[in-house]
Amino acid sequence: MTELLKPVYLEDKLKQVRGDGHLQYRSRSLPTWCPGCGYFSVAEGVAAALNRLEVALKDAVIVSGIGCASRFPFFMDTYGLHTLHGRTLPVATGVKVANEKLTVIAVGGDGDAFAIGGGHIPHAARRNVDITYMVFDNGVYGLTKGQTSPTSVQGFVTPSTPYESHDQPLNPLMMLLSYGAGWVGQAYAGRPHHLADMIVEAIAHRGFSYLHILSPCVTFDKTEMTYSNLDVRVRDLPPDHDPADRMAAMEQAARTAAPALGLFFSETRPTLGDGFADVAARATGRPAGKTKAARKK
Amino acid sequence: MAEQRESTDIQFAVIGSAGDGTIAAGDILKRAMAGLGYKVIAFDIYPAEIRGFGKCISRVRVTTEQAYSLKRHSDVLVSLDDSYAIPHVGEVCDFGAVIYEASPIARQPEGGHITAHIRPTQLPYGLNQREISERATNAARSRNIVVLGYLAGLYDIDPQAFRDVIADKFRSKAAIVTTSNTAAFDAAYEVGKTVFKLDQGSLGEPVHAREGETATMMTGNGAIVRGCMDAGLDTFFGYPITPATTILERLAAELPKHGGRVLQTEDEISAISATIGAGYTGARAATATSGPGLALMAEMLGLGVMGEIPSVVFVSQRGGPSTGLPTKTEQSDLNIAVFGGAGDAQRIVLAPTNVDGCYRTAGKAFEMAEKYQTPVVVLLDLYLSNRYETVVPPAKNPFAPSMNKGLDAWRGEGAYQRYQKTDDHVSPRAVPGDEGGMHTVTGLEHSEFGKPSDLPENHMAMSAKRHEKLKAALTHPDFTICKRFGDEGPVDVGILGWGSTFGEILEAMFAAQAAGIRCSAMKVVMLSPLPEQQIVSFMDDCGAVLVPELNYEGQLANLISGALGRPVTRLNRVTGAPMQVEEILAEIRRLAQAKAA
Repeated sequence: MTELLKPVYLEDKLKQVRGDGHLQYRSRSLPTWCPGCGYFSVAEGVAAALNRLEVALKDAVIVSGIGCASRFPFFMDTYGLHTLHGRTLPVATGVKVANEKLTVIAVGGDGDAFAIGGGHIPHAARRNVDITYMVFDNGVYGLTKGQTSPTSVQGFVTPSTPYESHDQPLNPLMMLLSYGAGWVGQAYAGRPHHLADMIVEAIAHRGFSYLHILSPCVTFDKTEMTYSNLDVRVRDLPPDHDPADRMAAMEQAARTAAPALGLFFSETRPTLGDGFADVAARATGRPAGKTKAARKK
Repeated sequence: MAEQRESTDIQFAVIGSAGDGTIAAGDILKRAMAGLGYKVIAFDIYPAEIRGFGKCISRVRVTTEQAYSLKRHSDVLVSLDDSYAIPHVGEVCDFGAVIYEASPIARQPEGGHITAHIRPTQLPYGLNQREISERATNAARSRNIVVLGYLAGLYDIDPQAFRDVIADKFRSKAAIVTTSNTAAFDAAYEVGKTVFKLDQGSLGEPVHAREGETATMMTGNGAIVRGCMDAGLDTFFGYPITPATTILERLAAELPKHGGRVLQTEDEISAISATIGAGYTGARAATATSGPGLALMAEMLGLGVMGEIPSVVFVSQRGGPSTGLPTKTEQSDLNIAVFGGAGDAQRIVLAPTNVDGCYRTAGKAFEMAEKYQTPVVVLLDLYLSNRYETVVPPAKNPFAPSMNKGLDAWRGEGAYQRYQKTDDHVSPRAVPGDEGGMHTVTGLEHSEFGKPSDLPENHMAMSAKRHEKLKAALTHPDFTICKRFGDEGPVDVGILGWGSTFGEILEAMFAAQAAGIRCSAMKVVMLSPLPEQQIVSFMDDCGAVLVPELNYEGQLANLISGALGRPVTRLNRVTGAPMQVEEILAEIRRLAQAKAA
């Protein structure tokens, strides 16, 4: 929270934001999220990250499912595809397969990802399709007004679980790590600058990258994943954490009482696109050329 | 030597147990006959189980003129396993031949041998299948090749055609496989040549393809793949399901040779999702499935309709509902193809009626998906997917490489509007990578800009746009949406049909005409939007209208009587097998008599 120690003056801030260049990535549609929603940080983070990576507006595609988080593409001025509940990843895969040159970002909430869409995640991860998947985890169904979600705490009282929820929450980071995802990180909407940095890294990673974003729902969760609770609970990954060590990443991911922020795991291996190049080479009898070299790296 | 027949129409049925080489024998037979220039239509029946004993039947109809279906009665039955063949002896016509093992290994109980089932009007041909095979190759394994040699001798067919196919079929195996099988073939050919013949004699001279044309033999699924390739398919996403799997498999082998990409997804939902994603990105994208997969895809097809995203879905129907009859044919997915999904979600639905139609429909489906910015469902069925026909591929690729109305067609003021109102209700479509065309496609009802909007006048206008634009598909260039055959003008009985059953309908119609009944038939290839005008004027000409379908509910009959408010006579069969020509003919006779009475 160091950035808030200095007083901010509106004129200076406006000048800074306008000069930065990332505003061009924001659409004219104002977000429909509740004031204070963590998703505002993500929208700012994605705009800043695309700006820093110099991705042209026309070359970025943001694919989403259904839910509060999935309204995201409307608020960006890139190409967008607001699809069906849970189908974010296969649609994004189709976009990437059709045009390798595009920067494809898939976004969705915890329900979209791990309830209805849970079956698609392992396959996107094992295929290593070169897209970035960001899950905005607020531990609640916001757009349907506050029901329990697969990442809600046990004992959560909601309209659909008036006598407390019985199911224990999933651990998305451990799932992604065991699915073989090549890049797994976690960020927190309450630390927007770190979040933006993580988004830059996730997009820059060659292959499937998964960024888990803890993001409070200020409207339907007043007790569990709140800013005040998370501010106390989150921690940085230990400085000696080795992102090449999948088991160490699993151990860090298992400590859910104190969620760690940062890069849990990263490895580079041939992507789905490399696989297609290899198939084309075998089918036509021509040498794979570039692909083989990329694989040796 | 009997006199040569002017035209040939002879149907072979090879019947055996799994492992006898029944399907292989049928395959060599049809390829040899097609190679000689005959028209061939063939369909195999085999059990759903991969291993273990089961009845295999390979039926091959060989003609000089194009046939439209298999016949109920075969002219020649070849038994490789009498226990499976005995129930089918009755399907051999009078003066037809039954070829069986003359020296069975096991002693047959009284009346248990196949000869006890052959009628006096049928011709029994005992053949020492095992012995000839063993003498020629030291093994009994080539019995299926022996019967082919015998057939070639018996019917005076050029043996070289068979030898060529045998060599080609076993090309990838050790040379000994080809030489020993050829030896078995030649030995049996000599036997067949010298055996006593009644009058079936030789086949007539085949009608060769015209100059510059090469007839080839293809299955419906094979023709779909060919159509996809010629239409420039970019990406294909599929999940294995009988009887659509071979589309995925063949494209997986062929498409990468031409720069395309094939991905086997984790389920059908993923397959259609990726297809929609690729379609949105500007690729020609397709998937293939059967009824159960289409049920899973219905929601995503709705997004394709709402977002106006091109995609093509090939659906090879099988027996239903649920897992149903996975290896049997049926036409019961018309309802879900036309109506499946939430909301008013009209899409284009096409159903080819033969193998050649599969090719043309596949290619045209991509044109239509792009031109009208919509999902297109192409309905096949197991019978059409798996049956072989001789087709003459067009000399020139008949499909337009692109029919996309792109961003360059944008003429508006100010910011780009993805769903701009236009005269033809189709809006210029920007795809990712297009400068200045950024927009978000959504399954929410949206404004012309693509922004969510639930205003009443907007939903009215957009619903109209999505339905009105499809009407142009009824006049899509170089595509037959429906076609009338048979007698012109007023007729006693008219038959309306769709899909693979139309072959049997045509054969029944010709038979009825031969019996003096004024009769015509109309195939309906475009099932959504329905060619109402053409159907109505056809029905106006008909004393009675018969709709034969391989489903229980009468799904086309419901569609037509529902949309047009006209009564029809239904003929529905769900036996898992193709409709029989005789069943349709009997119904035509009944309707014609009822009218006369």
